Amino acid sequence: MSTEYFEEEEFQSKFNGQTFRRIVGLITPHWKWVLGFVITIMGVSSLDSLFTYLSKRIIDEGIVARNAPVLINILTEYGLLTIVQAIGVFIFIYLVGVLGERVRYDMRRALFNHLQQLSLSYYSRTPVGWIMARVTSDTDRVADLVTWGLLDSTWAVMNIITAMGFMIYINWRLALIVFFTLPILFIVAVEFRKRIVSQYRAVRKTNSKIVGAFNENITGVRVVKALGREEGNLSEFNTLTNEMYRASYRAAWLSALFLPSVQLISAAAVGSIIWYGGLQAQTGTLTVGGITAFVSYVTFMMWPIQDLARVFAEIQHAIASAERIFSLVDSQPDISDRPNAVDPGTIQGDIEFEHVSFTYKDDTKEVLHDFSLYVKQGETIAIVGPTGGGKTTIVNLLCRFYEPTTGVIRIGGRDYTQLSMHAIQSRIGVVLQTPHLFSGTVRENIRYGRMDATDSEIEQAAQMAGAHDFIQKLEKGYDEPVGEGGNLLSTGQKQLISLARAILARPEVFIMDEATSSVDTLTEALIQRGMETLMNGRTSFIIAHRLSTIKRADRILVIEDGRIAEIGTHAELLRLRGKYYQLYTQQFRHEMAAAYDPFETVSPVQQKPLGV
Amino acid sequence: MTTSSPAMGYDLQRAISPNRLVGLWRMMTGYRIKYITATISLGIAAVAKTLTYMLLRYFVDNYFVSQTASISLTLIAIGFVLLALTESGFTFLSGTLAAQTAEGIARRLRNYIFDHIQKLPFTYHDENQTGELIQRSTSDVDAVRRFYADQAIGIGRIILLFAINFAALLNLNVRLAFISIVILPLIVAVSLFFFRRVSKAYESYQEQEATLSTTLQENLTGVRVVKAFARQQYEINKFEQNNWEKYLRGKRLLKMHSLFWPISDTLCGLQMLIGYLTGALMAINGEITVGTYLAYAGLIVWIIFPMRNLGRIIVQLSTGMVSYSRVMEIIKQTREPLDEGSYTPQTEPQGHIRFENVGFTYADAETPVLQDITFEARPGQVIALLGSTGSGKTTLVNLLPRFYEYTAGHIFLDGIELNRYPRRYLRQQIGIVEQEPFLFSRSIRENIAYGVTHAVTDAEIEQAARAAAIHEGILSFPDGYHTLVGEKGVTLSGGQKQRVAIARTLLKNPRILILDDSTSAVDTETEAEIRQALQNLMNNRTTFIIAHRIQSIMNADLILVLDHGRIVQSGQHADLVSRPGIYRDIYEIQTRIEVELEKEISSVN
Repeated sequence: MSTEYFEEEEFQSKFNGQTFRRIVGLITPHWKWVLGFVITIMGVSSLDSLFTYLSKRIIDEGIVARNAPVLINILTEYGLLTIVQAIGVFIFIYLVGVLGERVRYDMRRALFNHLQQLSLSYYSRTPVGWIMARVTSDTDRVADLVTWGLLDSTWAVMNIITAMGFMIYINWRLALIVFFTLPILFIVAVEFRKRIVSQYRAVRKTNSKIVGAFNENITGVRVVKALGREEGNLSEFNTLTNEMYRASYRAAWLSALFLPSVQLISAAAVGSIIWYGGLQAQTGTLTVGGITAFVSYVTFMMWPIQDLARVFAEIQHAIASAERIFSLVDSQPDISDRPNAVDPGTIQGDIEFEHVSFTYKDDTKEVLHDFSLYVKQGETIAIVGPTGGGKTTIVNLLCRFYEPTTGVIRIGGRDYTQLSMHAIQSRIGVVLQTPHLFSGTVRENIRYGRMDATDSEIEQAAQMAGAHDFIQKLEKGYDEPVGEGGNLLSTGQKQLISLARAILARPEVFIMDEATSSVDTLTEALIQRGMETLMNGRTSFIIAHRLSTIKRADRILVIEDGRIAEIGTHAELLRLRGKYYQLYTQQFRHEMAAAYDPFETVSPVQQKPLGV
Repeated sequence: MTTSSPAMGYDLQRAISPNRLVGLWRMMTGYRIKYITATISLGIAAVAKTLTYMLLRYFVDNYFVSQTASISLTLIAIGFVLLALTESGFTFLSGTLAAQTAEGIARRLRNYIFDHIQKLPFTYHDENQTGELIQRSTSDVDAVRRFYADQAIGIGRIILLFAINFAALLNLNVRLAFISIVILPLIVAVSLFFFRRVSKAYESYQEQEATLSTTLQENLTGVRVVKAFARQQYEINKFEQNNWEKYLRGKRLLKMHSLFWPISDTLCGLQMLIGYLTGALMAINGEITVGTYLAYAGLIVWIIFPMRNLGRIIVQLSTGMVSYSRVMEIIKQTREPLDEGSYTPQTEPQGHIRFENVGFTYADAETPVLQDITFEARPGQVIALLGSTGSGKTTLVNLLPRFYEYTAGHIFLDGIELNRYPRRYLRQQIGIVEQEPFLFSRSIRENIAYGVTHAVTDAEIEQAARAAAIHEGILSFPDGYHTLVGEKGVTLSGGQKQRVAIARTLLKNPRILILDDSTSAVDTETEAEIRQALQNLMNNRTTFIIAHRIQSIMNADLILVLDHGRIVQSGQHADLVSRPGIYRDIYEIQTRIEVELEKEISSVN
């Protein structure tokens, strides 16, 4: 998973009413759960203080008064309350934990569903790692805030309040001393926490650099050895591990200092209680149980304070996370169906580009200028030309991944923006240059073309694509898993499967971005045959690299600098002796040289793209 | 390499041991005193805590119950603060020392593995997957770090707390002490049982998280496919399924947690209750004082509750030990010695190379990759290797920098057996330009200077870049020579990468050159430029060219045609063309292609 290398963004956010309302909005559908755990935790935290008070009564009313029956009564009460508390603990852990998972689930679902609606333009300007981080770590952080964060702070506040209540009840003067130390404790704790949190961020950042360094050193180990860079690399890496040492040590140092500091402050409070309480003992206003209860209250007060501080330190980061999530949810797709979009049931018919120009959003450079083309139903168009000339843009516009900035594209005589996106995209079959497969079996990947296809239809499609033979040789045949992104298969095999997928879809228009990568000659021939099957009778647009494909086209478009440089049949263009002629002769030599390789057994053929 | 920390030079291969605890103990070399001090500090802090309760006992008995105190109230109050100071001071000390140990060991381990990996031979890297190695060098090292930072010291803490407080309890009252631990074994057992199961449930939860991430990532990277087939709804359902499964697994995990904590709470509560009841009754009967009861009630908490965590730490400890073994798998491999060799000339070699019946077979393979290779290359000559993939061309040149050790015959460099030279010396003298050059994700300037150890001036870099015909190209980038390459910077084309690699090699200025002629990956416009750059590079250097096409090797001084690890033809171009054989076949294709092209073009007229 590549997300590990994606560095976390460093930004905090100030409190913002609207964001806060939206965060609360995440748990409102589950308000019963929230109410449930908030009430339970209030009960449980009050019990905490009550236990301390019961301990006081054991001493004062049981031991000091030498009254065994009362003692047993109190202890029975104590025991019963322990069970009540245990039940409470069970309830709140379950409620808050499951709610946390649920909120995470809700957010991720909402994000994912929204992502499916966004246009391709969004993906081209947003790195995958960024989106991944929003859906994974940001949702975690926000879900934790609204569940465990809410729980911890409720517990802490309730705990402090009830403890204070008991303290005032026992001895209000002594309680004042404790009140005085509370804000100090809190401030110290928050300051510590903030620093610890940011130090751990530094650790994570350095860690991702270390992972990157390992990755590079391992993948490039041959070059490292050849250039004798071992010492240099090690000393560079050493700077990195030193950085890591410093950051982690500082984080650990702060954590190690944190608790003792807080303890020390409460110890000062305990000291004053002892001193003051001892004085009062002489006058008899404070009992033994009273003073020990105070000591307990003060000693254990640091836990709720700590929890509050932790929530407080995390809250800003969590809000920043929430803002990023909301910004993703709020982003609008650039292209969506018009209000009265229709699905005519077919998109067969002639396709026309009329004075189409296109400029990418956030860019000033026009990539396609006044492009006009009329394609008859069933025609095959080969598009050739240098990279960056605008070939892919034409295809993207046709698939309506983007819409023309000016000009009109007509399908069957109708402006295609009047049709629904689904009407167009579900009837266009696309085979991409780099085949993309999904984890799962071969069968599942082919079925992606048409979800209701039967197994025999899938095999038929595979046969037509020329993929059947190699699939059968796989250990589990069609049920062989292809691995993450299809990485258990070779590039050629992936191409064949993506062809089968397109064939199964029975598209009305076929678009192919021919692969430039190397496959062996046999696979190459199979791919060619599969393409032929698909082009047969269908309007086809091929971004072509191979001579055989180009020659088979009805018309060839040479695209350069966003314009049609040359257009015509193979013979016409060759006679022109222009750009196409050059591209063609060049590619001819390359393909022939490769084809006649006398060593050729099954060695990969390095295919050169036409006119890169 | 400079570093402030001691024991940096410890050879971690000495920490290899079949007994993992012994190994982990050895790995602490140089940090043992620190770590032991950390543990002792923890003990002192625990004693201070216990003494606090003893002081409370004294205070209550002598100030409240009877006023017989011989120590002033102020002193007692100060005593409490001093004890707290001692406790917090030593807790802090222990924390920092443990962190120094854990972080120090982790740093040493990271550095060692990093260095180790780059010094392991090619044969090791041929067999091992990058992902697996990274996993071991990062997550497993971190697990070892946690072993020292949290787990080992955590167990020490629990044991010390128990021992010290139990001793104090014994001191207070023996019967009471033993009554306070009757349920303790049960608590430990429940905790162990629970954490074993929870760690399994947690793993399955994490697995599902990984599945979910994969689904998401594939969806994002395959967004064009999703849109092209209009499969948004299908993707939504797929994600939904995985997401829901994760929710269910999370729920299962939480169910366990929501059962464990209250159950263990109840058990601990029961144990305390037994103690309270016995203690309080003894106090009522006058067997112990009120102060003793108070001290007891305070101490018992520190015996019972830490035990509840024992299960967690023990389970984590076992993962730490597994990680130790995984890390050691790498460390126990033998490095290739860079400086070992009986002959180290102070000057550059002339570049006279002679192969005599050289053969190479992989360690556990039977069929040799190379057999009976014999030829001679005089200084400055160009030797071309022609052959199909797997014919042994690459292996042959890889013998020269001793990336692999030849297993039969002799190779002589300037008349001296090659394996008498240290690897470092050979690699300094040999430059390699690969077919798909690997560039590092740093600036172009740094990439060019990557192969030289001394400081390089801008002028030298530019000169190399010019000779490699890439200077103009570099200047066209936004940050010129400081442009970052790779993931976070610009993506270079195959031809650009290759010319940067040529510049890198030019700057290194080796006597012997190995070129993987890969102009086939490059477009024609740049082909001429690269050819010129290569010519500049080959000047005055003994050069080995791995060729794919004849044009680039027609002028070679010696052409070796390899097939199945053997030389099947050798000689110069003119000579080889005049004889029947593979070489002439290849050559003739060239002419045939031109003829066919002519035919092709005239057919349309």
